[in-house]
Amino acid sequence: MSIIETHNLTKTYGRIEALKGVSLRVEKGQIYGLLGQNGAGKTTLIKILLGLVRLTEGAATLLGQPAGTVGVRRRVGYLPEDHQFPHYHTAYSLMDFYGSLYGVPASVRRRKIPETLELVGIAGRMHSKIKTYSKGMKQRLGIAQALMHDPELIILDEPTDGVDPMGRKEIRELMATLKQSGHTIFLNSHLLGEVEMICDRVAILQRGQLVREGTIAELTQQKGLYVLRLAEGQSFPVEAVTQRGYTVRSLAEPPGAVEIAMSDGQTIDPVIQLLVERGLSLRHLVEQKQTLEDVFMKTVEAAEPGVDRQRRRGAARPVGGGN
Amino acid sequence: MQSFFAILKDSFREAVDGFVIYVMLGLSSVVILVVASMSFMPAEPGPALEAIVQRFSLTFPDKGRSRVISASFENRYAATEVKPEGDGYRLRLKVTANGSRANEPDKPPQGDSFRRTVAAWLKQPGRTVKMSDLAGKQQQSGPGGSGSPPPEIEFSLNQEATLDEQRAVTNADMEEFLRHQFAIHAGLTATVQRLPADEPQYEFDVTTSGGSAVRGWPHTMKMFFGTVTVSEDVNLGTVLWIIEDQIINGVGGAVALLIGLIITAFFIPNMLRKGSIDLLLCKPIGRAQLLIYKYIGGLTFVFLITSFTVGGIWLAIGLRSGHWDLRFLAVIPLLTFTFAIVYAVSTLVAVVTRSPIAAMIVSIGFMLFLYIVGQVKTIFDRLRLEERSDTMPAWVFTLVDALNNWLPRYKDLDKLTSKLIADGTLTEAERRTFGLASIEYPSWESTIAVTLAFIALMLALACVRMVRRDY
Repeated sequence: MSIIETHNLTKTYGRIEALKGVSLRVEKGQIYGLLGQNGAGKTTLIKILLGLVRLTEGAATLLGQPAGTVGVRRRVGYLPEDHQFPHYHTAYSLMDFYGSLYGVPASVRRRKIPETLELVGIAGRMHSKIKTYSKGMKQRLGIAQALMHDPELIILDEPTDGVDPMGRKEIRELMATLKQSGHTIFLNSHLLGEVEMICDRVAILQRGQLVREGTIAELTQQKGLYVLRLAEGQSFPVEAVTQRGYTVRSLAEPPGAVEIAMSDGQTIDPVIQLLVERGLSLRHLVEQKQTLEDVFMKTVEAAEPGVDRQRRRGAARPVGGGN
Repeated sequence: MQSFFAILKDSFREAVDGFVIYVMLGLSSVVILVVASMSFMPAEPGPALEAIVQRFSLTFPDKGRSRVISASFENRYAATEVKPEGDGYRLRLKVTANGSRANEPDKPPQGDSFRRTVAAWLKQPGRTVKMSDLAGKQQQSGPGGSGSPPPEIEFSLNQEATLDEQRAVTNADMEEFLRHQFAIHAGLTATVQRLPADEPQYEFDVTTSGGSAVRGWPHTMKMFFGTVTVSEDVNLGTVLWIIEDQIINGVGGAVALLIGLIITAFFIPNMLRKGSIDLLLCKPIGRAQLLIYKYIGGLTFVFLITSFTVGGIWLAIGLRSGHWDLRFLAVIPLLTFTFAIVYAVSTLVAVVTRSPIAAMIVSIGFMLFLYIVGQVKTIFDRLRLEERSDTMPAWVFTLVDALNNWLPRYKDLDKLTSKLIADGTLTEAERRTFGLASIEYPSWESTIAVTLAFIALMLALACVRMVRRDY
């Protein structure tokens, strides 16, 4: 049974199509990242899963049950983007309030609240009013409230927003710990570096459509691009390699290195053979990989060139969509 | 139930976060303290009973069953030889009537003002005149309940009794009349026995029970812990009625409703704010359930504030006067119920607009509208009663009746609450002279049923909107 499964999920707000037939599957124990530009439909997708927004067409299930039902929500923890906690609460009283809504017994709440707040690093201020907290502290509290009832699925919308680098590292470690203990995490973040570091699988949404999906390795793999460097004092046989149909480009860093690009069907082996035949000594050979950011930018640009510029000019955003 | 109590607690926490609640509690505490500073010292039995019998000039025909007030100032009443007896007092009541001539032995009575008063008391009122006619039909503010038009009081004019009727008055009739006068003017239970005396002089042996612990007993009232004497001859019940109905239920109730509305108008819009609502709707609780719980949270807040104020006043009155009337405590649920009407409107507006200002303006406006409908209905009812309905087109009456029938009974609840308080404080004579007995009171059943139906409708609309909306 998949933890999250959507099939041809569609959501329209009047004439605006926020989601266009999104189908994805998240398995138990995964950290699944959802990427996309502002307005791509990420938050709409999450809100449909939680029942905050009604879907127009398609189907969505969480933990084997229809998305958004009361029974499902009991088993899910959620940190919304741009959340606003009631200012009259302290961290403790807020956790107590939300814990009550989740049906956590009072005795368990008394034990779990300090534990969970300790986990996110704000236990020392748990009796202070939330209005005195920094943005990072509020974010940590947001994560804590999503965890306190020990949910099977944790949905985090921009969990590291406003958190300092040290705090981000702690949150990443926390997510890794949660994963190890069998939790499934569905993560929506703009910080591609972080997503790359912690996610098992990633989906990229663009204008409501799922344009790419796969593991980090699958997405960042780049076939046919190698960086190569010879021993000091030896020069690379650019002409001979080019004559064999390869594209060679000198790199400034590291000194003396070249980048070799191959066409479809070519391998690096003939180049290495040539170097051996000429008695040249190979010191560095690495298959070039791209970052998730590279993948994201290429994917977005390929799907719809210039979308960001259009959005900045004031294109309509769907109601309820914070993405 | 855990969710329910969690939301109640959350609403209360939200309410006590602002300063307005503390201002309100402070004002309530001041009022309670002022009432607690009052002292009520019963007058000595002699002067007290003398003051009570002076009220006997006002009578109510048809053995007290008529609402018409009759006044006869020709008889002089005097309470003498007052002595404690049992749990009450024994006294001799002397009535000096105005008679044209003295009676002759073994001849029928010649008639006098006392026999005429008793004979008139025994029968239906004669020609009457209305207070509005006496006042040149000018509308005046009266004690009929918070700013409402004055109740229509009728007076009996030159109530006459023939000589035969006067002669027919027996000793038992006189004794019954006086027993009734003690009861209606002071709340005293009395046994009365006529003693021999030459008419137009009358003497009666009277034994009362209950001592000074009756609402019509004159009291010396002081404020600020005895430092200021307000009155040396005031009925305890009258003062309590002014405090409970005019000050607490009237002015205090209006202030509580207004401030309650201002504070609670923020509850639902705050809950529905972007960023807040997501945190609640992702919890395992239904949307309608969440909204209703939040609504009840607002009501609970007003209930607690009202309980604090009314309960405090009740306690202060009880401790300082010995008058422990549970009916006054009915103001707590009734005021909360009144608040429930306007808060239901506030909730609907809040769900539709998500604006606390809109919720406040519309609900306060609606409260005023209901008040105006209630006032207009009272005036129109009177026009009908006086058979002056031809002064207005028939459709106007139909419209006012329809509005009153279908809208929540805000004004009727106020009337019924005032009646409860008056029944618990004023003497029967005071209720009639204040015109409270002349008011046509609506039924509890219809008032509550129509009001509940309206509240249910508002909440149902709000729930439908909340459930169907994407957040």
